[in-house]
Amino acid sequence: MAGVLEVKNLSKSFDGIVVARHVDLTLQSGRVLGLIGPNGAGKTSLFNLICGVVKPDGGTVSLEGAPLDGRKFHQRVRSGLSRTWQHTRLFPSLPVIDNLLVGTTDYPGERLVNVLFGRARLRAHDTVARDKAQGFLGKMGLSGVADDLVSDLPYGQQKLVGVARALMGDAKCLLLDEPMAGVEGQAYAAMQRVVREIAESGVAVCVVEHNIAFVRDLCDEGVFMFSGAIMARGSVAELIRDPQLTELYFGH
Amino acid sequence: MEYLYGIIIIVGLYVILATSFNLIIGYGGLVSIAHPVFFALGAYTSAILSRDFSVPVLLAMLAGMLVAVVASIALALPSLRVSGDYLMIASIGFQLGILEVIKNLRFTGGPGGLTNIPPFLIRDFGRESYVLLVLAVMLGVIALVWWISRGDYGRAMSAMRDDELAFSSIGRDAIWMKIAIFALGSGLAGFAGALYAHYFRYIAPEQFEILQSSAILTMVVVGGMRTTWGPAIGALLLQALPQAITFLNLPPSVLGPIQGLLFTGLVLVFMFVRPQGLVPARDIWRAAPRSNAENR
Amino acid sequence: MQDTTIILQILWTSLATSTYYVLFAVAFALVLKVTRLFNFAQAGVMTIAFYTAFVLVQWLEWPAWAAFIVMMVVTLAASYALERIGFEALRRRGVSVMFVFVFTFMVSEFVAYVAMLIFGTWPQTIFPTIFWPVTLVGEIALSGWDLPAMGTTIAALAAFFAFMRFTRTGQFMVGVADNPGLAELYGIDKRQIFLVTMLIAGAFVGLGMFLYGTRAQVLPQTALSLMLFAIVATIIGGIGNVAGAAVAAVILGIVQNASILVIPSEWQGFLLYIFLFFAIVFFPNGLKLPRRRTRFGTATRNTPPAGDASPEAQA
Repeated sequence: MAGVLEVKNLSKSFDGIVVARHVDLTLQSGRVLGLIGPNGAGKTSLFNLICGVVKPDGGTVSLEGAPLDGRKFHQRVRSGLSRTWQHTRLFPSLPVIDNLLVGTTDYPGERLVNVLFGRARLRAHDTVARDKAQGFLGKMGLSGVADDLVSDLPYGQQKLVGVARALMGDAKCLLLDEPMAGVEGQAYAAMQRVVREIAESGVAVCVVEHNIAFVRDLCDEGVFMFSGAIMARGSVAELIRDPQLTELYFGH
Repeated sequence: MEYLYGIIIIVGLYVILATSFNLIIGYGGLVSIAHPVFFALGAYTSAILSRDFSVPVLLAMLAGMLVAVVASIALALPSLRVSGDYLMIASIGFQLGILEVIKNLRFTGGPGGLTNIPPFLIRDFGRESYVLLVLAVMLGVIALVWWISRGDYGRAMSAMRDDELAFSSIGRDAIWMKIAIFALGSGLAGFAGALYAHYFRYIAPEQFEILQSSAILTMVVVGGMRTTWGPAIGALLLQALPQAITFLNLPPSVLGPIQGLLFTGLVLVFMFVRPQGLVPARDIWRAAPRSNAENR
Repeated sequence: MQDTTIILQILWTSLATSTYYVLFAVAFALVLKVTRLFNFAQAGVMTIAFYTAFVLVQWLEWPAWAAFIVMMVVTLAASYALERIGFEALRRRGVSVMFVFVFTFMVSEFVAYVAMLIFGTWPQTIFPTIFWPVTLVGEIALSGWDLPAMGTTIAALAAFFAFMRFTRTGQFMVGVADNPGLAELYGIDKRQIFLVTMLIAGAFVGLGMFLYGTRAQVLPQTALSLMLFAIVATIIGGIGNVAGAAVAAVILGIVQNASILVIPSEWQGFLLYIFLFFAIVFFPNGLKLPRRRTRFGTATRNTPPAGDASPEAQA
């Protein structure tokens, strides 16, 4: 079955170090795929390759059947791809709500024509965007901090804001890079809930994570990467039980 | 009186230059020393079109602005595709190079410059009208930059400055935004150049050299980057200084370097002692009061 | 027959005049490689070097060799001050690229204005004349300036490359260039290395300006244009590649000189800016030259990005 995101035969090396070795991957709508493996396995590099931040040596990436090759990162985002970052990468000079509002994919407020002649349209767009943003914040339990600066938030909440921002653009495919790293307590539960809901709304999700419990509870299936190659696929429970994989993981 | 008008107009033009440069370096985060060259392109284009091709002055001025915009895109597009560092280097080459060209071409008057530039408004409405024109444009430019920096575009610019990679991850093209900001700022400088040409009616390459880059940079750094009024205050103060020095009756060969020393020295001092400038920027972007949204 | 003579003459003159360009390019490229800084203040040091020599020779009437030595000392002192007082302060504050640019650029401009104030804006040379005895070899005119210039430049470059290859400090410099964090872990004193780098660059600059100022006229703003040449050579040669910058400087010098055959002389200066434009558009990563591995791991430009890749790391 064709997936939302198809990665075929993706390869990349840097100066002799292979970070991706003929990687094949498919992300299905409404399902969460867990990408696990030891550090240096190439998980984040794979995300970078899919996003177009890094140019592959070979292979293709397509979104909903349309090839993304050669297109720049921001162009891929506009086509429906979205990602979060290991270290949040929020905009420190904008309050929380504006971090989200700037993430919409159309911005009539920046066109002179609209500002001069289309104020009604601007107000309508602004209302829709704000409602959407407040909606996400509400689901994450962050409604109270909408006007705060991101630096005033605890780390877990910042990561949630990062996920919300990635969703403002109505992505069809979401890549989450270690969403649980450094997160605990309420934010942890909120993140689990949020990712589940995202998948249920039809988005194809892929999560890179070291937190195996999170992966086991959340992901419909898993993929184990080592040294740039996919070593195994299956349900997360199977992957965890496999002694060879465990050795690769902890042997590092 | 005429002398006073000249000073007011010069100050007004420098406010436009400093404010438009603030857009580029403060809000766009782009490092460039090529601002005087766009001032020059606007001046020369407007002067040559109106004097040698009988184009009505107002149209020639707009053409001057257009030439500045096109030239700025020609500079920024290939450079920014590589990185901001390259724009920095390319702007040095552009500033020096275009002036070389102007000095060597015959139709620009070469090193001697252009004289007999057609006047505008003065014959019909007097010098006061030109002063009002410049002040009106100046206020317009300040208002424009204020509005841009507060609205949705200002928010996007803040995000772009904060983290370009994250900016891409929300589907925004940082390169085009930078080019747009660069083109707008340079276009405004070009228009100021045209205003300059048709009042003083004599332009020469030496008026657009690197001393002007230092001067404009000083006005923005000392006045306060990323503020609405900082560059204006910087421009006012830094125009007052050279005027004060002229009263000392120093020979021109000493006056130029002393002005240069003042400008560069001030930037260096301010950068170490008070890098935020006289008017500190609030580095947090906040929207303009949503009075429009609340009305109705 | 005539044409070969012209070509050979141009070739010879280009090689001779590329000496100072190579020195300026190597200085700029070296500082960029090791400290990762675009040292636009180099023009300021160049100006200081020239006018020091000028004052010593023309005003104080010292013999050339004495003037040269003192000039070198002053230039090294200026480089020392620039590094210890300027760049260290900037590094301590963790300032942005823009800040460094404005700072270094303003330093150069400041020095230029001081020079303008003291020396005026008419062209100067280190010796009262820039005319050197000419010897004819076949039909090629060799200036008495050429061989000493080429000799000293080659000697300086040879000493430099030997230094980089065979001394510990030289290898440490390469280490810091490739991976400053790792170098620190190995116990290399980055401060010292940065200082040594700046001093070596200062030495090249001093020699280069002495050569230039004994052959051509200098104005307070000349150093800025000369530095631009160095920057173009550095870009074409490949950022991080000092030898490449040197080669590029020679080639650019030859092309610029040879252009006299096809374009009027007043446009020769403009050629440089065309080079800059082409360099940026077509060779932002320089012409590909093979990179050697160093003791500290893999070479720089293609290292894998950290967790979150930055766009600049990608070619």
